[in-house]
Amino acid sequence: MPEVSLKDTIITSLNAQEPWPENVKLFQPYEVEQILLPDNASCLAVQAFLKMCNLPFEVEMRWNAEFMSPSGRVPFIKCGAFVVSELEPIVQFAANKNVSLCARLSTEERAEMRAYMSLITNVLVNAELYISWVDQDTFNAVTRVRNSSVYPWPLGWLQTRSKRASVIKRLKALHWHDKTLDQVLADVEQCCNSLSQRLGDRDYFFGTPTELDALVFGHVFTIITTRLPCRKLADTVRRHDTLVALAKRIDEQYFKRP
Amino acid sequence: MGTVHAKAERESDKDAVGSGIFEFEEPDAFEEPVAKPSIKLNGVRARVDRVHVDGLSRTKDDIIKSTIDELFHATDFEDVILRAHKVRRALDSMGCFRDIGVYIDVSSGPGATPEGLEVTFQVKELSRIVGGINTTVSENEGNLVLGVKLPNVLGRGERVAAEYSVGHRSSSNFNVSATKPYPHSTLTPVLSATVYQQNHEYPWSGYKLLDRGLLLDVAFKTSPVTKHNLQWEGVVRDTAVLSKTTSFKVRESSGPQMKSVIRHIVTVDHRDEPIFPTRGSWVQFSSELAGLGGGVANVRTELQAQTNRELAPGCVVQVSGALGVLHDMYGTDIPDHFYLGGPATLRGFRQRGVGPHADQQALGGTVYWASGLHLYTPLPFQPGKGGLGELFRSHLFLNAGCLAHPEEAGLAAAEALTEARVSCGAGVALRLGRAARVELNYCVPLRARAHDVPAPGLQLGVAAHLL
Repeated sequence: MPEVSLKDTIITSLNAQEPWPENVKLFQPYEVEQILLPDNASCLAVQAFLKMCNLPFEVEMRWNAEFMSPSGRVPFIKCGAFVVSELEPIVQFAANKNVSLCARLSTEERAEMRAYMSLITNVLVNAELYISWVDQDTFNAVTRVRNSSVYPWPLGWLQTRSKRASVIKRLKALHWHDKTLDQVLADVEQCCNSLSQRLGDRDYFFGTPTELDALVFGHVFTIITTRLPCRKLADTVRRHDTLVALAKRIDEQYFKRP
Repeated sequence: MGTVHAKAERESDKDAVGSGIFEFEEPDAFEEPVAKPSIKLNGVRARVDRVHVDGLSRTKDDIIKSTIDELFHATDFEDVILRAHKVRRALDSMGCFRDIGVYIDVSSGPGATPEGLEVTFQVKELSRIVGGINTTVSENEGNLVLGVKLPNVLGRGERVAAEYSVGHRSSSNFNVSATKPYPHSTLTPVLSATVYQQNHEYPWSGYKLLDRGLLLDVAFKTSPVTKHNLQWEGVVRDTAVLSKTTSFKVRESSGPQMKSVIRHIVTVDHRDEPIFPTRGSWVQFSSELAGLGGGVANVRTELQAQTNRELAPGCVVQVSGALGVLHDMYGTDIPDHFYLGGPATLRGFRQRGVGPHADQQALGGTVYWASGLHLYTPLPFQPGKGGLGELFRSHLFLNAGCLAHPEEAGLAAAEALTEARVSCGAGVALRLGRAARVELNYCVPLRARAHDVPAPGLQLGVAAHLL
């Protein structure tokens, strides 16, 4: 596991106050043949966040993005001499440079936003991991093929095996591994319910775009657009029209290709 | 005729159990037989009637028979002694026995001839299982090493050895190897297979490696001084960065990779000693082809040579050189590169301190050359002469070398290799057994280039092979 020393943290926070540089790069796995559902969701969420902040960046795809990342998870950004991975540290990093989407939110609203964000990490991310690695059909037809696509035989098989073991270990620790698919879908349903209730008929959760919108967009958009043998997850999410509408709105506003 | 008691004094083979690390030089008494003034041994006609080998239990007879066979061809007494010694050595090198005593007596009993002798070898077989436990300290980690050896498993010199080491920073290394010698076939091949897992940290380059692999090796000799190794190695290596501040260049090469390598190493050794030789030369040429399967394909060749000459007793000049070329087809990354600098190669520079760097971290190169000129002398005033002092040498050295990555620098290889780095200095070297040596030197880098990391002053190095 990557080590983060206190020294590194201090250096990062001391030097991070310079303005946002020009040549920021976002590293992620290959979108077409490699990336998996949970990774794709978090990469999309980070992209959406950076676009909402109007911070310029370039996407670069690497087969070993996961291993280059200091936390072992994708995506990560390279900003000058710094490498920062995953959405929350990146939000923090941008805030250090005085770029923030939730500056006008009250303390309660911020706490609420945090709560919803952790709801998503606890439910949607685990559900995505469950579908990708535990559901046999999806694992055999999609995950196994995509995860090993960048390695020569038999390394692909070894890597897939060890990654599956570590995901299952994580899910077991969170008591998700013993759930049936229906229980997982029920959790997702509940999560989506509370999200769409909070969203109501507003355009964004807190009036203007925040990192919560970016995170919801990343997950909802990925789940409804990814074709998997098990369609139940996509169907469950798609029933929540307001969330789907939010995802489409963000896609059109920020990801519209010219 | 009385009994000649040929007492075996030489310490057994260097890898035999119990041989000390500070092993003293012992003259090979039997290489040049000292003729007694009164008796001329080669004038005494003799033939060997019988050979006994006492103390065998699980060692198979056929292998012993073929080893001692040549004793029966002796014609005079000197010949018997020489051959008996040769057989003793051969038995020793099988690695099955602990103490080997040789007794020669006149033969008696039925079938004895007038000039007949009986030779008795008294051997003690090594126990079935030999274990060891010790601690080592490497760059920044203390390790506990557990070792188990099964010598002579099947009775014909086969060995199985396993070693497991745990470091206090929770890195664990192990290797299990099985060896099967064929001492009486032509070319005396030795087959071995090794499974291993190794952790290595390279703070000078900011990465660490976790290697898991399988190594198959055939070693054979085409002449007494020419040794070949044919190897296949399949390895999965996991590269990871050491810290958050590691250069991005190094970070880019992280991730698991698989490599399949065919390697040929030929060594010609004419030296009288591997450590502190006084005469003779040594050449090693290794060529590697990676890419039959796996995600890394390259061709890598390396040549190392050394020659020694004694100017005055105890005063030896040594010239050594090395050069290497790596040609990348695909997937070749920082761990595959050549590195130069440090106490074992180009003294006066930090470990890996020569050549391309990014943020003070060595990236290595694809071509290099290095050379060294040494003048070895005994310690000044020769303290401990003939004893402890023989383990030490003082030396003056001059090193020169160059490492480059011409593809990246956009230069022609020949042009890139003209940027020589030079250093000189003096120091003391200590022999550790027959395998390694320690050096403490005062170094003065004379010529360095931009990005190099010179390390003037005192430098300590331990290595099996030093330039």
